[in-house]
Amino acid sequence: MPFILLRRHAPFLLSLIGGLAIWEIAGRMTSAAFMVPFSVTLVRLWQLVVHGNFIAQFLESAELFITGFVLALAVGAPLGMLLARVRAVRVGIEPYLMLIYATPMVALIPFILSMMGFGFAPKVLVVFLFGVFPVIYNTVEGARSIKPELIEVARSFRSGEWPLWREVMLPYTLPYLMTGVRQAIGRSLVGMIAAEFFLSSTGLGQLIMGASQDFDTAGVFATIFVIGLIGVGLMRLGLEIERRFARWRQ
Amino acid sequence: MSAPSAPAAQPAHADSARIRVRSLGKRYGALEVFRNIEFDVGAREIVAIVGPSGCGKTTLLRCIDGLLPHDTGDIWVGDARVEEPIAGVAMVFQHFGLFPWKTVFDNVAYGLRMAGAARTEIERKVPEFIKMVGLAGFEKAFPYQMSGGMQQRCGLARALAVEPSVLLMDEPFAAVDAQTREILQFELLRIWQERPTAMIFVTHSIEEAVLLGHRVIVLKGRPSSIHEIVEIDLPGPRTRATLQLPRFAELRERVWGTLMREAREAEFQLERA
Repeated sequence: MPFILLRRHAPFLLSLIGGLAIWEIAGRMTSAAFMVPFSVTLVRLWQLVVHGNFIAQFLESAELFITGFVLALAVGAPLGMLLARVRAVRVGIEPYLMLIYATPMVALIPFILSMMGFGFAPKVLVVFLFGVFPVIYNTVEGARSIKPELIEVARSFRSGEWPLWREVMLPYTLPYLMTGVRQAIGRSLVGMIAAEFFLSSTGLGQLIMGASQDFDTAGVFATIFVIGLIGVGLMRLGLEIERRFARWRQ
Repeated sequence: MSAPSAPAAQPAHADSARIRVRSLGKRYGALEVFRNIEFDVGAREIVAIVGPSGCGKTTLLRCIDGLLPHDTGDIWVGDARVEEPIAGVAMVFQHFGLFPWKTVFDNVAYGLRMAGAARTEIERKVPEFIKMVGLAGFEKAFPYQMSGGMQQRCGLARALAVEPSVLLMDEPFAAVDAQTREILQFELLRIWQERPTAMIFVTHSIEEAVLLGHRVIVLKGRPSSIHEIVEIDLPGPRTRATLQLPRFAELRERVWGTLMREAREAEFQLERA
Protein backbone atom coordinates (compact mmCIF):
# COMPACT_ATOMS: atom_id res chain seq x y z
CA MET A 1 0.00 0.00 0.00
CA PRO A 2 2.63 2.64 0.87
CA PHE A 3 4.36 1.64 -2.33
CA ILE A 4 1.23 2.41 -4.40
CA LEU A 5 0.83 5.72 -2.58
CA LEU A 6 4.45 6.52 -3.29
CA ARG A 7 4.00 5.73 -6.98
CA ARG A 8 0.88 7.86 -7.27
CA HIS A 9 2.56 10.86 -5.66
CA ALA A 10 6.02 10.28 -7.17
CA PRO A 11 5.73 12.98 -9.89
CA PHE A 12 4.66 15.55 -7.29
CA LEU A 13 7.40 14.58 -4.82
CA LEU A 14 10.05 14.61 -7.54
CA SER A 15 8.96 18.04 -8.75
CA LEU A 16 8.94 19.33 -5.15
CA ILE A 17 12.46 18.03 -4.48
CA GLY A 18 13.64 19.35 -7.86
CA GLY A 19 12.15 22.80 -7.22
CA LEU A 20 13.71 23.06 -3.77
CA ALA A 21 17.06 21.86 -5.18
CA ILE A 22 17.01 24.55 -7.89
CA TRP A 23 16.14 27.16 -5.23
CA GLU A 24 19.00 25.94 -3.06
CA ILE A 25 21.57 25.95 -5.89
CA ALA A 26 20.42 29.28 -7.35
CA GLY A 27 20.52 30.80 -3.86
CA ARG A 28 24.06 29.65 -3.26
CA MET A 29 25.24 31.02 -6.61
CA THR A 30 23.66 34.45 -6.10
CA SER A 31 24.68 37.28 -3.84
CA ALA A 32 22.94 37.08 -0.47
CA ALA A 33 21.71 40.64 -1.04
CA PHE A 34 19.33 39.41 -3.76
CA MET A 35 18.45 35.85 -2.92
CA VAL A 36 19.07 33.24 -0.24
CA PRO A 37 18.91 29.45 -0.57
CA PHE A 38 16.08 27.34 0.86
CA SER A 39 18.12 26.10 3.82
CA VAL A 40 19.01 29.64 4.92
CA THR A 41 15.36 30.67 4.54
CA LEU A 42 14.27 27.85 6.86
CA VAL A 43 16.92 28.72 9.46
CA ARG A 44 15.94 32.39 9.37
CA LEU A 45 12.26 31.48 9.73
CA TRP A 46 13.11 29.41 12.80
CA GLN A 47 15.02 32.36 14.30
CA LEU A 48 12.14 34.74 13.60
CA VAL A 49 9.66 32.40 15.25
CA VAL A 50 11.77 31.69 18.32
CA HIS A 51 13.53 35.01 18.91
CA GLY A 52 11.54 37.52 16.87
CA ASN A 53 7.91 38.53 16.96
CA PHE A 54 6.87 36.43 13.97
CA ILE A 55 3.96 34.72 15.77
CA ALA A 56 2.54 38.01 17.03
CA GLN A 57 2.75 39.60 13.57
CA PHE A 58 1.26 36.50 12.02
CA LEU A 59 -1.74 36.67 14.37
CA GLU A 60 -2.19 40.35 13.63
CA SER A 61 -2.33 39.61 9.90
CA ALA A 62 -4.69 36.73 10.51
CA GLU A 63 -7.06 38.99 12.43
CA LEU A 64 -7.06 41.49 9.56
CA PHE A 65 -7.56 38.78 6.94
CA ILE A 66 -10.40 37.04 8.77
CA THR A 67 -12.27 40.25 9.61
CA GLY A 68 -12.11 41.54 6.02
CA PHE A 69 -12.92 38.16 4.49
CA VAL A 70 -15.90 37.47 6.75
CA LEU A 71 -17.27 40.93 6.01
CA ALA A 72 -16.83 40.33 2.27
CA LEU A 73 -18.80 37.12 2.62
CA ALA A 74 -21.50 38.63 4.86
CA VAL A 75 -22.08 41.54 2.48
CA GLY A 76 -21.31 39.86 -0.86
CA ALA A 77 -23.61 36.85 -0.61
CA PRO A 78 -26.87 38.67 0.30
CA LEU A 79 -26.06 41.52 -2.08
CA GLY A 80 -25.47 39.02 -4.88
CA MET A 81 -28.85 37.35 -4.21
CA LEU A 82 -30.61 40.72 -4.19
CA LEU A 83 -28.86 41.76 -7.40
CA ALA A 84 -30.03 38.60 -9.10
CA ARG A 85 -33.61 38.61 -7.82
CA VAL A 86 -34.63 42.27 -7.41
CA ARG A 87 -34.56 44.34 -10.56
CA ALA A 88 -34.53 47.71 -8.82
CA VAL A 89 -31.41 46.77 -6.84
CA ARG A 90 -29.70 45.57 -10.00
CA VAL A 91 -30.47 48.69 -12.02
CA GLY A 92 -29.64 51.03 -9.15
CA ILE A 93 -26.45 49.51 -7.79
CA GLU A 94 -24.80 47.53 -10.55
CA PRO A 95 -23.20 50.50 -12.41
CA TYR A 96 -21.44 51.60 -9.23
CA LEU A 97 -20.31 48.07 -8.46
CA MET A 98 -18.86 47.75 -11.95
CA LEU A 99 -17.09 51.08 -11.55
CA ILE A 100 -15.44 50.04 -8.30
CA TYR A 101 -14.69 46.57 -9.63
CA ALA A 102 -13.04 47.95 -12.76
CA THR A 103 -10.84 50.33 -10.75
CA PRO A 104 -7.52 48.73 -9.72
CA MET A 105 -8.01 48.35 -5.98
CA VAL A 106 -4.47 49.50 -5.17
CA ALA A 107 -5.28 52.85 -6.77
CA LEU A 108 -8.00 53.38 -4.16
CA ILE A 109 -5.64 52.96 -1.22
CA PRO A 110 -4.39 56.57 -1.07
CA PHE A 111 -8.01 57.73 -1.05
CA ILE A 112 -8.89 55.30 1.74
CA LEU A 113 -5.83 56.48 3.64
CA SER A 114 -6.82 60.15 3.43
CA MET A 115 -10.43 59.36 4.34
CA MET A 116 -9.89 56.93 7.18
CA GLY A 117 -6.33 57.27 8.38
CA PHE A 118 -4.04 54.57 9.71
CA GLY A 119 -6.26 52.48 12.00
CA PHE A 120 -7.51 48.93 11.74
CA ALA A 121 -10.75 49.86 9.91
CA PRO A 122 -9.21 51.20 6.66
CA LYS A 123 -7.11 48.06 6.36
CA VAL A 124 -10.18 45.88 6.84
CA LEU A 125 -11.86 47.94 4.11
CA VAL A 126 -9.02 47.14 1.70
CA VAL A 127 -9.21 43.39 2.41
CA PHE A 128 -13.00 43.60 2.10
CA LEU A 129 -12.83 45.38 -1.27
CA PHE A 130 -10.40 42.80 -2.61
CA GLY A 131 -12.57 39.89 -1.48
CA VAL A 132 -16.14 41.04 -1.98
CA PHE A 133 -16.38 41.07 -5.78
CA PRO A 134 -15.74 37.39 -6.48
CA VAL A 135 -18.41 36.61 -3.87
CA ILE A 136 -20.93 39.02 -5.42
CA TYR A 137 -20.35 37.99 -9.02
CA ASN A 138 -20.39 34.24 -8.44
CA THR A 139 -23.55 34.54 -6.33
CA VAL A 140 -25.26 36.60 -9.02
CA GLU A 141 -24.23 34.12 -11.69
CA GLY A 142 -25.56 31.22 -9.62
CA ALA A 143 -28.85 32.84 -8.68
CA ARG A 144 -29.46 33.92 -12.29
CA SER A 145 -28.76 30.50 -13.75
CA ILE A 146 -31.43 28.76 -11.69
CA LYS A 147 -33.76 26.80 -13.95
CA PRO A 148 -37.12 28.61 -14.32
CA GLU A 149 -38.82 25.23 -14.05
CA LEU A 150 -37.68 24.90 -10.42
CA ILE A 151 -39.17 28.30 -9.57
CA GLU A 152 -42.35 27.16 -11.30
CA VAL A 153 -42.41 23.96 -9.24
CA ALA A 154 -42.14 26.07 -6.10
CA ARG A 155 -44.98 28.34 -7.25
CA SER A 156 -47.10 25.37 -8.25
CA PHE A 157 -46.76 24.01 -4.71
CA ARG A 158 -47.76 27.42 -3.38
CA SER A 159 -44.40 28.37 -1.90
CA GLY A 160 -44.20 31.79 -0.28
CA GLU A 161 -41.32 34.16 -1.02
CA TRP A 162 -39.25 33.20 2.07
CA PRO A 163 -39.62 29.41 1.58
CA LEU A 164 -38.71 29.99 -2.08
CA TRP A 165 -35.41 31.49 -0.94
CA ARG A 166 -34.78 28.95 1.79
CA GLU A 167 -35.71 25.84 -0.17
CA VAL A 168 -34.77 26.77 -3.74
CA MET A 169 -32.73 29.94 -4.32
CA LEU A 170 -30.17 29.48 -1.53
CA PRO A 171 -29.42 25.76 -1.97
CA TYR A 172 -29.13 26.25 -5.72
CA THR A 173 -26.78 29.21 -5.36
CA LEU A 174 -24.59 27.73 -2.62
CA PRO A 175 -22.08 25.90 -4.88
CA TYR A 176 -21.61 29.08 -6.94
CA LEU A 177 -21.16 31.07 -3.74
CA MET A 178 -18.46 28.59 -2.71
CA THR A 179 -16.60 29.19 -5.97
CA GLY A 180 -16.71 32.86 -5.02
CA VAL A 181 -15.43 32.03 -1.54
CA ARG A 182 -12.46 30.16 -2.98
CA GLN A 183 -11.55 33.06 -5.27
CA ALA A 184 -12.13 35.57 -2.46
CA ILE A 185 -9.65 33.74 -0.21
CA GLY A 186 -6.83 34.32 -2.69
CA ARG A 187 -7.74 37.92 -3.39
CA SER A 188 -8.23 38.80 0.29
CA LEU A 189 -4.73 37.53 0.96
CA VAL A 190 -3.41 39.96 -1.67
CA GLY A 191 -5.53 42.70 -0.10
CA MET A 192 -4.11 41.91 3.32
CA ILE A 193 -0.50 42.38 2.20
CA ALA A 194 -1.40 45.48 0.15
CA ALA A 195 -3.09 47.03 3.19
CA GLU A 196 -0.11 46.25 5.41
CA PHE A 197 2.29 47.72 2.87
CA PHE A 198 0.50 50.94 2.04
CA LEU A 199 -1.50 51.76 5.17
CA SER A 200 -0.11 51.50 8.70
CA SER A 201 2.56 48.87 8.51
CA THR A 202 1.68 45.83 10.62
CA GLY A 203 1.70 42.08 10.52
CA LEU A 204 3.48 39.98 7.92
CA GLY A 205 3.53 42.95 5.55
CA GLN A 206 5.53 44.91 8.09
CA LEU A 207 7.91 41.97 8.52
CA ILE A 208 8.63 41.97 4.79
CA MET A 209 9.05 45.77 4.67
CA GLY A 210 11.24 45.83 7.76
CA ALA A 211 13.45 42.95 6.63
CA SER A 212 13.79 44.53 3.22
CA GLN A 213 14.91 47.85 4.70
CA ASP A 214 17.46 46.02 6.88
CA PHE A 215 18.80 44.14 3.82
CA ASP A 216 17.65 40.97 5.61
CA THR A 217 16.92 39.04 2.40
CA ALA A 218 16.52 35.78 4.34
CA GLY A 219 13.82 37.42 6.49
CA VAL A 220 11.98 38.61 3.35
CA PHE A 221 12.15 35.13 1.86
CA ALA A 222 11.05 33.44 5.08
CA THR A 223 7.94 35.63 5.37
CA ILE A 224 6.97 35.31 1.70
CA PHE A 225 7.47 31.56 1.98
CA VAL A 226 5.00 31.36 4.87
CA ILE A 227 2.44 33.58 3.10
CA GLY A 228 2.71 31.37 0.02
CA LEU A 229 2.16 28.22 2.07
CA ILE A 230 -0.89 29.74 3.77
CA GLY A 231 -2.25 30.77 0.38
CA VAL A 232 -1.89 27.27 -1.01
CA GLY A 233 -3.44 25.77 2.13
CA LEU A 234 -6.43 28.13 2.05
CA MET A 235 -6.99 27.48 -1.65
CA ARG A 236 -7.04 23.73 -1.03
CA LEU A 237 -9.47 24.27 1.80
CA GLY A 238 -11.65 26.39 -0.51
CA LEU A 239 -11.60 23.68 -3.18
CA GLU A 240 -12.67 21.07 -0.63
CA ILE A 241 -15.54 23.27 0.59
CA GLU A 242 -16.60 23.96 -2.98
CA ARG A 243 -16.57 20.28 -3.88
CA ARG A 244 -18.55 19.34 -0.78
CA PHE A 245 -21.37 21.74 -1.68
CA ALA A 246 -21.36 20.93 -5.39
CA ARG A 247 -21.87 17.20 -5.10
CA TRP A 248 -25.31 17.30 -6.70
CA ARG A 249 -24.21 19.61 -9.54
CA GLN A 250 -23.38 17.19 -12.33
CA MET B 1 -61.65 9.11 -2.36
CA SER B 2 -63.64 5.89 -1.91
CA ALA B 3 -63.47 2.60 -3.78
CA PRO B 4 -62.09 2.75 -7.31
CA SER B 5 -64.80 3.09 -9.89
CA ALA B 6 -64.42 1.33 -13.19
CA PRO B 7 -64.37 3.94 -15.93
CA ALA B 8 -67.07 2.24 -17.91
CA ALA B 9 -68.76 3.23 -21.13
CA GLN B 10 -70.91 5.99 -19.62
CA PRO B 11 -69.13 9.34 -19.58
CA ALA B 12 -67.42 9.82 -16.25
CA HIS B 13 -67.71 13.60 -16.43
CA ALA B 14 -71.47 13.32 -16.19
CA ASP B 15 -71.50 13.06 -12.36
CA SER B 16 -69.75 16.14 -11.05
CA ALA B 17 -67.34 18.41 -12.81
CA ARG B 18 -64.20 19.02 -10.76
CA ILE B 19 -62.66 21.38 -13.31
CA ARG B 20 -64.67 23.75 -15.47
CA VAL B 21 -62.97 25.75 -18.21
CA ARG B 22 -65.11 28.44 -19.84
CA SER B 23 -64.32 30.50 -22.97
CA LEU B 24 -60.67 30.57 -22.02
CA GLY B 25 -58.27 32.65 -24.09
CA LYS B 26 -54.58 33.47 -23.78
CA ARG B 27 -52.23 35.70 -25.71
CA TYR B 28 -48.56 36.62 -25.47
CA GLY B 29 -48.59 40.21 -26.72
CA ALA B 30 -49.61 40.08 -30.36
CA LEU B 31 -49.49 36.28 -30.47
CA GLU B 32 -52.79 34.65 -29.61
CA VAL B 33 -52.09 31.17 -28.24
CA PHE B 34 -55.62 29.74 -27.90
CA ARG B 35 -59.17 31.00 -27.77
CA ASN B 36 -62.58 29.91 -26.59
CA ILE B 37 -61.46 26.76 -24.80
CA GLU B 38 -64.37 25.08 -23.00
CA PHE B 39 -64.45 21.73 -21.31
CA ASP B 40 -65.19 20.00 -18.00
CA VAL B 41 -63.27 17.32 -16.17
CA GLY B 42 -65.16 15.00 -13.82
CA ALA B 43 -63.97 14.27 -10.31
CA ARG B 44 -62.90 10.81 -11.45
CA GLU B 45 -62.05 11.42 -15.03
CA ILE B 46 -58.88 11.51 -17.09
CA VAL B 47 -58.99 13.99 -19.93
CA ALA B 48 -56.12 13.80 -22.38
CA ILE B 49 -55.16 16.78 -24.50
CA VAL B 50 -53.31 16.14 -27.77
CA GLY B 51 -52.17 18.55 -30.41
CA PRO B 52 -49.21 19.31 -32.61
CA SER B 53 -46.17 20.84 -30.93
CA GLY B 54 -46.54 24.54 -30.38
CA CYS B 55 -50.34 24.39 -30.23
CA GLY B 56 -50.33 25.72 -26.68
CA LYS B 57 -51.30 22.61 -24.71
CA THR B 58 -48.62 23.18 -22.11
CA THR B 59 -49.59 26.85 -21.88
CA LEU B 60 -53.20 25.80 -21.34
CA LEU B 61 -52.17 23.43 -18.55
CA ARG B 62 -50.07 26.11 -16.87
CA CYS B 63 -53.05 28.47 -16.98
CA ILE B 64 -55.17 25.81 -15.30
CA ASP B 65 -52.49 25.38 -12.62
CA GLY B 66 -52.57 29.13 -12.07
CA LEU B 67 -48.91 29.53 -13.04
CA LEU B 68 -49.82 31.75 -15.97
CA PRO B 69 -52.55 34.40 -16.09
CA HIS B 70 -55.21 33.97 -18.77
CA ASP B 71 -56.74 36.83 -20.72
CA THR B 72 -60.38 35.86 -21.21
CA GLY B 73 -62.76 33.35 -19.69
CA ASP B 74 -62.71 31.48 -16.40
CA ILE B 75 -61.19 28.41 -14.83
CA TRP B 76 -62.96 26.82 -11.89
CA VAL B 77 -61.66 24.03 -9.70
CA GLY B 78 -64.57 23.06 -7.49
CA ASP B 79 -65.84 26.38 -6.15
CA ALA B 80 -62.51 28.13 -6.51
CA ARG B 81 -61.73 30.40 -9.41
CA VAL B 82 -58.13 29.87 -10.53
CA GLU B 83 -56.00 33.01 -10.64
CA GLU B 84 -52.92 31.62 -8.94
CA PRO B 85 -51.92 28.10 -7.87
CA ILE B 86 -54.57 26.75 -5.49
CA ALA B 87 -54.53 23.97 -2.93
CA GLY B 88 -55.70 20.55 -4.06
CA VAL B 89 -54.15 20.87 -7.51
CA ALA B 90 -50.76 19.27 -8.19
CA MET B 91 -48.67 19.24 -11.32
CA VAL B 92 -46.20 16.70 -12.71
CA PHE B 93 -43.60 18.41 -14.90
CA GLN B 94 -42.18 17.38 -18.24
CA HIS B 95 -38.57 17.62 -17.10
CA PHE B 96 -39.44 16.24 -13.65
CA GLY B 97 -38.67 19.51 -11.85
CA LEU B 98 -36.91 17.71 -9.01
CA PHE B 99 -34.63 19.70 -6.72
CA PRO B 100 -31.19 18.20 -7.44
CA TRP B 101 -29.84 18.93 -3.95
CA LYS B 102 -32.72 17.11 -2.24
CA THR B 103 -32.99 13.36 -1.77
CA VAL B 104 -36.00 11.40 -3.01
CA PHE B 105 -37.50 11.65 0.49
CA ASP B 106 -37.04 15.42 0.69
CA ASN B 107 -38.32 15.96 -2.85
CA VAL B 108 -41.48 13.99 -2.10
CA ALA B 109 -41.85 15.83 1.21
CA TYR B 110 -41.56 19.23 -0.50
CA GLY B 111 -45.22 19.71 -1.37
CA LEU B 112 -46.33 18.61 2.09
CA ARG B 113 -43.89 21.01 3.73
CA MET B 114 -45.10 23.89 1.59
CA ALA B 115 -48.63 22.98 2.62
CA GLY B 116 -47.52 23.28 6.26
CA ALA B 117 -47.84 19.60 7.16
CA ALA B 118 -46.57 18.51 10.57
CA ARG B 119 -43.34 16.53 10.82
CA THR B 120 -45.14 13.40 12.00
CA GLU B 121 -47.53 13.59 9.06
CA ILE B 122 -44.62 13.96 6.64
CA GLU B 123 -42.78 11.01 8.15
CA ARG B 124 -45.89 8.88 7.86
CA LYS B 125 -47.01 9.90 4.38
CA VAL B 126 -43.79 10.27 2.41
CA PRO B 127 -42.72 6.59 2.67
CA GLU B 128 -46.24 5.56 1.71
CA PHE B 129 -46.12 7.47 -1.56
CA ILE B 130 -42.52 6.50 -2.28
CA LYS B 131 -43.68 2.90 -2.00
CA MET B 132 -46.73 3.56 -4.16
CA VAL B 133 -44.60 4.70 -7.11
CA GLY B 134 -42.15 1.82 -6.62
CA LEU B 135 -39.19 3.78 -5.25
CA ALA B 136 -38.94 2.05 -1.86
CA GLY B 137 -35.27 1.71 -0.94
CA PHE B 138 -34.28 4.86 -2.83
CA GLU B 139 -35.34 7.35 -0.14
CA LYS B 140 -31.81 8.66 0.27
CA ALA B 141 -30.87 8.74 -3.44
CA PHE B 142 -30.30 12.04 -5.21
CA PRO B 143 -31.93 12.73 -8.58
CA TYR B 144 -28.61 12.61 -10.46
CA GLN B 145 -28.14 9.04 -9.24
CA MET B 146 -31.38 7.86 -10.85
CA SER B 147 -32.64 7.16 -14.37
CA GLY B 148 -35.20 9.45 -16.00
CA GLY B 149 -37.98 6.97 -15.30
CA MET B 150 -37.13 6.84 -11.61
CA GLN B 151 -36.91 10.61 -11.46
CA GLN B 152 -40.41 10.93 -12.88
CA ARG B 153 -41.70 8.35 -10.41
CA CYS B 154 -40.34 10.69 -7.76
CA GLY B 155 -42.05 13.66 -9.43
CA LEU B 156 -45.31 11.72 -9.44
CA ALA B 157 -44.94 10.79 -5.75
CA ARG B 158 -44.34 14.46 -4.90
CA ALA B 159 -47.59 15.43 -6.62
CA LEU B 160 -49.57 12.52 -5.14
CA ALA B 161 -48.28 13.18 -1.62
CA VAL B 162 -50.35 16.34 -1.22
CA GLU B 163 -53.40 14.15 -1.99
CA PRO B 164 -54.73 16.48 -4.66
CA SER B 165 -58.22 16.29 -6.12
CA VAL B 166 -56.76 17.42 -9.43
CA LEU B 167 -53.59 16.12 -11.12
CA LEU B 168 -52.12 18.04 -14.02
CA MET B 169 -49.68 16.06 -16.14
CA ASP B 170 -47.50 18.06 -18.53
CA GLU B 171 -46.12 15.51 -21.02
CA PRO B 172 -44.75 13.64 -18.01
CA PHE B 173 -43.33 10.71 -19.96
CA ALA B 174 -41.96 12.63 -22.97
CA ALA B 175 -38.43 12.73 -21.59
CA VAL B 176 -38.02 8.99 -20.89
CA ASP B 177 -37.24 6.13 -23.26
CA ALA B 178 -39.98 4.13 -25.00
CA GLN B 179 -40.01 1.05 -22.76
CA THR B 180 -39.92 3.08 -19.57
CA ARG B 181 -42.70 5.23 -20.94
CA GLU B 182 -44.92 2.20 -21.45
CA ILE B 183 -44.20 0.88 -17.97
CA LEU B 184 -44.98 4.26 -16.42
CA GLN B 185 -48.25 4.58 -18.34
CA PHE B 186 -49.58 1.37 -16.79
CA GLU B 187 -48.16 2.29 -13.38
CA LEU B 188 -50.08 5.56 -13.62
CA LEU B 189 -53.27 3.71 -14.53
CA ARG B 190 -52.78 1.36 -11.57
CA ILE B 191 -52.22 4.26 -9.17
CA TRP B 192 -55.22 6.12 -10.57
CA GLN B 193 -57.37 3.02 -9.99
CA GLU B 194 -56.24 3.07 -6.35
CA ARG B 195 -56.82 6.79 -5.94
CA PRO B 196 -58.98 8.24 -8.68
CA THR B 197 -58.73 12.02 -9.17
CA ALA B 198 -59.61 14.47 -11.85
CA MET B 199 -56.67 14.42 -14.24
CA ILE B 200 -55.64 16.42 -17.27
CA PHE B 201 -52.94 14.63 -19.23
CA VAL B 202 -51.17 16.65 -21.90
CA THR B 203 -49.26 14.64 -24.49
CA HIS B 204 -48.27 14.68 -28.13
CA SER B 205 -48.62 10.90 -28.33
CA ILE B 206 -51.99 9.85 -29.75
CA GLU B 207 -51.55 6.31 -28.44
CA GLU B 208 -50.89 7.59 -24.93
CA ALA B 209 -53.89 9.93 -25.07
CA VAL B 210 -56.26 7.14 -26.17
CA LEU B 211 -54.86 4.63 -23.68
CA LEU B 212 -55.12 6.95 -20.66
CA GLY B 213 -57.98 9.30 -21.43
CA HIS B 214 -61.68 8.82 -20.87
CA ARG B 215 -61.99 11.65 -23.33
CA VAL B 216 -59.40 13.05 -25.72
CA ILE B 217 -59.41 16.73 -26.58
CA VAL B 218 -57.82 17.62 -29.90
CA LEU B 219 -56.43 21.17 -30.03
CA LYS B 220 -56.27 22.76 -33.46
CA GLY B 221 -54.90 25.71 -35.36
CA ARG B 222 -53.18 28.99 -34.66
CA PRO B 223 -54.52 30.36 -32.42
CA SER B 224 -55.63 26.94 -31.31
CA SER B 225 -59.08 25.94 -30.19
CA ILE B 226 -60.79 22.65 -29.45
CA HIS B 227 -61.29 20.81 -32.70
CA GLU B 228 -62.92 17.68 -31.40
CA ILE B 229 -63.58 15.89 -28.12
CA VAL B 230 -63.44 12.12 -28.61
CA GLU B 231 -65.18 9.87 -26.08
CA ILE B 232 -62.88 6.92 -25.41
CA ASP B 233 -65.35 4.13 -24.65
CA LEU B 234 -62.74 1.51 -23.82
CA PRO B 235 -63.53 -0.76 -20.88
CA GLY B 236 -61.66 -0.24 -17.62
CA PRO B 237 -59.46 -0.90 -15.88
CA ARG B 238 -57.18 -0.51 -18.83
CA THR B 239 -54.19 -2.81 -19.14
CA ARG B 240 -51.76 -3.95 -21.77
CA ALA B 241 -54.59 -6.03 -23.23
CA THR B 242 -56.42 -2.76 -24.02
CA LEU B 243 -53.76 -2.00 -26.63
CA GLN B 244 -54.87 -5.13 -28.56
CA LEU B 245 -58.57 -4.24 -28.76
CA PRO B 246 -59.93 -3.42 -32.22
CA ARG B 247 -61.78 -0.51 -30.62
CA PHE B 248 -58.45 0.92 -29.40
CA ALA B 249 -57.10 0.86 -32.97
CA GLU B 250 -60.28 2.50 -34.26
CA LEU B 251 -60.15 5.33 -31.73
CA ARG B 252 -56.46 5.87 -32.32
CA GLU B 253 -57.08 6.13 -36.07
CA ARG B 254 -59.91 8.55 -35.46
CA VAL B 255 -57.76 10.90 -33.37
CA TRP B 256 -54.90 10.41 -35.79
CA GLY B 257 -57.15 11.37 -38.72
CA THR B 258 -58.29 14.53 -36.97
CA LEU B 259 -54.76 15.54 -36.11
CA MET B 260 -53.30 14.75 -39.53
CA ARG B 261 -56.02 16.67 -41.32
CA GLU B 262 -55.05 19.53 -39.08
CA ALA B 263 -51.34 19.01 -39.70
CA ARG B 264 -51.85 18.96 -43.46
CA GLU B 265 -53.91 22.14 -43.33
CA ALA B 266 -51.22 23.82 -41.26
CA GLU B 267 -48.54 22.73 -43.70
CA PHE B 268 -50.64 24.01 -46.55
CA GLN B 269 -51.08 27.37 -44.87
CA LEU B 270 -47.35 27.62 -44.36
CA GLU B 271 -46.70 26.94 -48.02
CA ARG B 272 -49.14 29.66 -49.07
CA ALA B 273 -47.70 32.16 -46.64
